[in-house]
Amino acid sequence: MTGSAGSSSTTESALADLLRSAGWAQPAVTITGAASVGAQRSTLFIEITGADQTTAAVAQLSSGIVASTPATTEAALISLAAEAAVPVPRVLAVTDSLPDSGQPAQVLSREPGLSIPRRLLRSVAELGTGEALARDCGAALAGLHGLDADAAPAGLERLDPIDPFGAYCDGLTDRLDQLPHPHPAVRLGVEWLRRNPPSPPPRLCMVHADFRTGNLLVDDGRLSAVLDWELAHVGDPMEDLAYLCLRTWRFGNDDLPVGGFGSIDALRSAYEQSGGTWRDDAFRWWMAARSAWWACGLAAQAAAFSAGLSDSIVLAASGRRVPELEYDLLNLIDPATEEHPDGL
Amino acid sequence: MLDRPGTSAGTFRTVGDRPDAQELLNAMAATVSDQIVPATTGGAQHAARVVANLCRILAREAASGGGAPSVDELRELLGDDANGPGGVASSDEVLVALDARLAHGDPEFARAALPVLRRDVERRLAIAKPSYLHEDASATEPETT
Repeated sequence: MTGSAGSSSTTESALADLLRSAGWAQPAVTITGAASVGAQRSTLFIEITGADQTTAAVAQLSSGIVASTPATTEAALISLAAEAAVPVPRVLAVTDSLPDSGQPAQVLSREPGLSIPRRLLRSVAELGTGEALARDCGAALAGLHGLDADAAPAGLERLDPIDPFGAYCDGLTDRLDQLPHPHPAVRLGVEWLRRNPPSPPPRLCMVHADFRTGNLLVDDGRLSAVLDWELAHVGDPMEDLAYLCLRTWRFGNDDLPVGGFGSIDALRSAYEQSGGTWRDDAFRWWMAARSAWWACGLAAQAAAFSAGLSDSIVLAASGRRVPELEYDLLNLIDPATEEHPDGL
Repeated sequence: MLDRPGTSAGTFRTVGDRPDAQELLNAMAATVSDQIVPATTGGAQHAARVVANLCRILAREAASGGGAPSVDELRELLGDDANGPGGVASSDEVLVALDARLAHGDPEFARAALPVLRRDVERRLAIAKPSYLHEDASATEPETT
């Protein structure tokens, strides 16, 4: 099996060693709870007890099942994003391979707020801050996208600047070809994407690529931190804006296209006011492309379960979510639904 | 001694015992939701929610008969390509052949395939998450990302 950190005491010991190597004096780590229900990564609440104080923090341990950006590269990008005023946690320690388990791991500051989608959406609805939160997201993404791509950490993947959309479709085709079973609806979607590239971006930039409800920490109804940078790469900025608006991340609040909490007008106006350039055709293209991508991701998670790489029931259940993404994808590319540009 | 089926109703019990799969799966979902979920926390509670949801999916699948009526439509769409090495292709072979045809990127074939694939996706979604087929789905299934 992959993805096990072993016993809690083994993980605590490994994290303490990691913190010691990052300069902490005689740290002791206690796992106080599990924050996340993610299939690809486990997020643990921890307390770090040093010589004279106790620090609340978060440890993120990747499953290793799905390939992603190296943890050290991710940490470097988080630090860059902080410089662009994107709200992020502080990186306290990081490694691409914990001793024994070999898992990539990060220890991050524990920021205030909610990230579990349904709780977050309930809270935002009660506080009436959905539009303000959508504007927070627009401003944060404009800040990230305004960073100079040449300053990106060396290990960050880069989309082909000559043919970014063709290159992205090639990546989707590879993902489809690696799955053990055919997914013709996704295949049809990928070929549609290949034949219908949108306008090119003014320039490629650093994108988070997993910027969506569930990876946003929200405190008192406002964005307090952007989490989970493991899919970040250099690409088209519209990818981030579109991904945040996929129906799958609205968690049933279908009338609020931005993450289930806000309007596209709020997201777009804040993005543009903060210096970003919005492209409608690319927004739609990336919604379809990332629907195809996530359909492949869910199918790959289920395949990992079926192959015996994990015994996670959450991974197993992923396979039954694939038709949701296929449905969204077909709605986005089917001429019969084109009269509803936001028609998910 | 077992009676032959049909000769003495209700005594031949190797097939068709009750409760059937759908009833049992719905009962399992209710038990997990009502008893296990409230008694657990954190990751175990989330796993229990996922299990309850999977039981409901499987109950709908059992009720549907598990068939894939659109396979015949897909065979028709593929024409000669739907023939497997041993004659009429299996469902899996039809999907592989369709996938391969779509990978060629022929827009005309894609246009013809779209409505057939849409019906197939909607059939599977009606099992996996029927609320998703409607606008403003107030989904109750647990998050599994």
